[in-house]
Amino acid sequence: MSLGRLRLAVPPWSYGFLAALALWAATTLHSGAGSAGGVLASALAFAAFTVLVGTGQMLVIASGPGNIDLSVPTVLTLASYVAMSVMAGRNALLVPGVLAALLVGAAAGALNYAAIAALRLPPIIATLAWSFVFESFAFDIGGQTRLKPPALLSDFAAARWGGVQIVPLAVMLVTLLAAVMLRRTIYGRHLLATGQSERAARLAGIAVGRVRLAAYMLCGATGALAGVLLAGFTGGASLNMGRSYLLSSIAVVVLGGTSVSGGQANAVGIWGAALFFNLMTTMLNSFGFQAGARFLLTGALIILIVAIVPRRRAA
Amino acid sequence: MKPQHPARAAALALAAALAALPAAARAQDGIATGNTSAMSIAFSNSYAGNSFRQVMIKSFQQIAAQAEKEHLIKGYTVVSANNSVTQQAAQIENMILQGYKAIIVLAGSDTALNGAIKDACGAGIVVVAFASGVTEPCAYRVDYNLDSYGKAELDFLASRFGNRKVNLLEIRGMAGDGFDKRLHAGVEKALKAHPNFKIVGQVYGQWTETIAQKQVASILPSLPRIDAVLTQGGDGYGAAMAFQTAHRPMPVIIMGNRQQELALWSKLHAKTGYETFSLGATPSVSQVAFWVAQQILAGKKVPKFVEVPLLTIHQADLAAWLAKIPPGGVANATYSQALVAKIIDANVHHTALPGIPAPQ
Repeated sequence: MSLGRLRLAVPPWSYGFLAALALWAATTLHSGAGSAGGVLASALAFAAFTVLVGTGQMLVIASGPGNIDLSVPTVLTLASYVAMSVMAGRNALLVPGVLAALLVGAAAGALNYAAIAALRLPPIIATLAWSFVFESFAFDIGGQTRLKPPALLSDFAAARWGGVQIVPLAVMLVTLLAAVMLRRTIYGRHLLATGQSERAARLAGIAVGRVRLAAYMLCGATGALAGVLLAGFTGGASLNMGRSYLLSSIAVVVLGGTSVSGGQANAVGIWGAALFFNLMTTMLNSFGFQAGARFLLTGALIILIVAIVPRRRAA
Repeated sequence: MKPQHPARAAALALAAALAALPAAARAQDGIATGNTSAMSIAFSNSYAGNSFRQVMIKSFQQIAAQAEKEHLIKGYTVVSANNSVTQQAAQIENMILQGYKAIIVLAGSDTALNGAIKDACGAGIVVVAFASGVTEPCAYRVDYNLDSYGKAELDFLASRFGNRKVNLLEIRGMAGDGFDKRLHAGVEKALKAHPNFKIVGQVYGQWTETIAQKQVASILPSLPRIDAVLTQGGDGYGAAMAFQTAHRPMPVIIMGNRQQELALWSKLHAKTGYETFSLGATPSVSQVAFWVAQQILAGKKVPKFVEVPLLTIHQADLAAWLAKIPPGGVANATYSQALVAKIIDANVHHTALPGIPAPQ
């Protein structure tokens, strides 16, 4: 039973971090100690975007069984287009652009929840349907053109203060806020209660609808923020910029220790999972595996991690 | 019925064929000038739902309308099937009945349209398939040769680096994709001529800038000095961003004719004298197919496969091209009848394909 005791000693959310650490070590062994810093810096830079999107997704998933936001990639894209249009490449309009993006993200979340609540659509359908609408809006604004960010935003997205990357640091702050919110605020407790049992939450006097609405709006807003930062980091908003954030936003949440069926969330674990995914890409690229082997190992590693993470026994 | 005298039958057929051709059309090289003013050309397109196809269709309409005005053809039509090969086959059958003299096909499948294409050939219609690997042998094919892509990239790098050792990073497309495989095979083939080139890293950028940036950034820390980056189009800008954020010296990144790639190149050139090379396919390859069909109708002898040159941009033409391409766009060319005749001639004589002239 030593394995069982070991499992209890290590909390589920830390498995992502442990796996990420192992991958980092493997890559460093392979490519020399000199690469360690660069590998970590690159993983942190890209993980930050995944974490930001994943944190919003976590709130939605935690709000109850079946709740999920598939519109995240297109909300990210649309908000990024809106922000770049408002900013029009001018540093002075940076703040209005960010605010406009957040507004668009929150509105998109509200629309998502409105379709779920008013039309009684399953979230998976409602958010998928809206994602097509959001994408066509994005197409309407910018089409195939790449909208350039103002110089200040690009500088910020790649900025380092004394060797420390700013954006990952800022996203860590968001993670901290989310963790505190879940543990210490009334909204956080209401959200988890709603996720555990909608009926019980309702009977306890929680406005379940409003709690979920807020979760979807926050998810839209974090996606929008990620879109703005990503535009700065990649040199502009483009129609397919959100493409890789659909599955990864869900995967990091689940791997990070949040229950797919809701009611239990872990904000810090998302970082471990996101670093794990990014370092896995790095390792597979550095080792120079063939494409087939890369896919095989990606799948095998994910299954391995999920398999060794202890699950909560059903009460 | 078996022909009694095969030689005589053949001679008769030849005479009949020659009689059908206007006299001037028998000339070998250059533009065939046979009278096609009473003939109409149809374009059967498998899918119109992305911007590349939209530009492709627009390019076709533009050149066909001009040819109509100049009385080179009587009329034209464009019909798009919604990615359904049965629908496209039915549309081709309709075109046969409507009396079009040539049908240009962008096929939704390499084999599923063979029946309809054979029917068209049987009715004496010239069928030109482009950007698709239609297997029916009676159809003329107009397409790029993907081996030329890798070869052009490496030839340019050889001209830049000579015989010194060169570390390459190869950005591929999507794992398992046929286009990616063929293009990569061309690179491998071309590499044999350059033993001093070594691919030290390989990532899949999915022809998408953001993904290319992420993949390149992930492999960079583990790589030695990179001299040049091989690309497949749509990934050059992302690669440049990855090198920039990693604070590594900018290698020679082969660009893919996208406006933002060329703009970046131009900016770096002004700052540091950076020079590279850009190449890519053009959506207006539909115009080549149009002129090939028109030239066959006018009596020009055309091989069954016509290779189209890639659009290449060198430092000297960079400013001219950049001024022409809208933000977010891809370099596109207008193919004149004369240029296509030259392309056909180069294919006949197996000589170097003519370059696409830079805009004035």
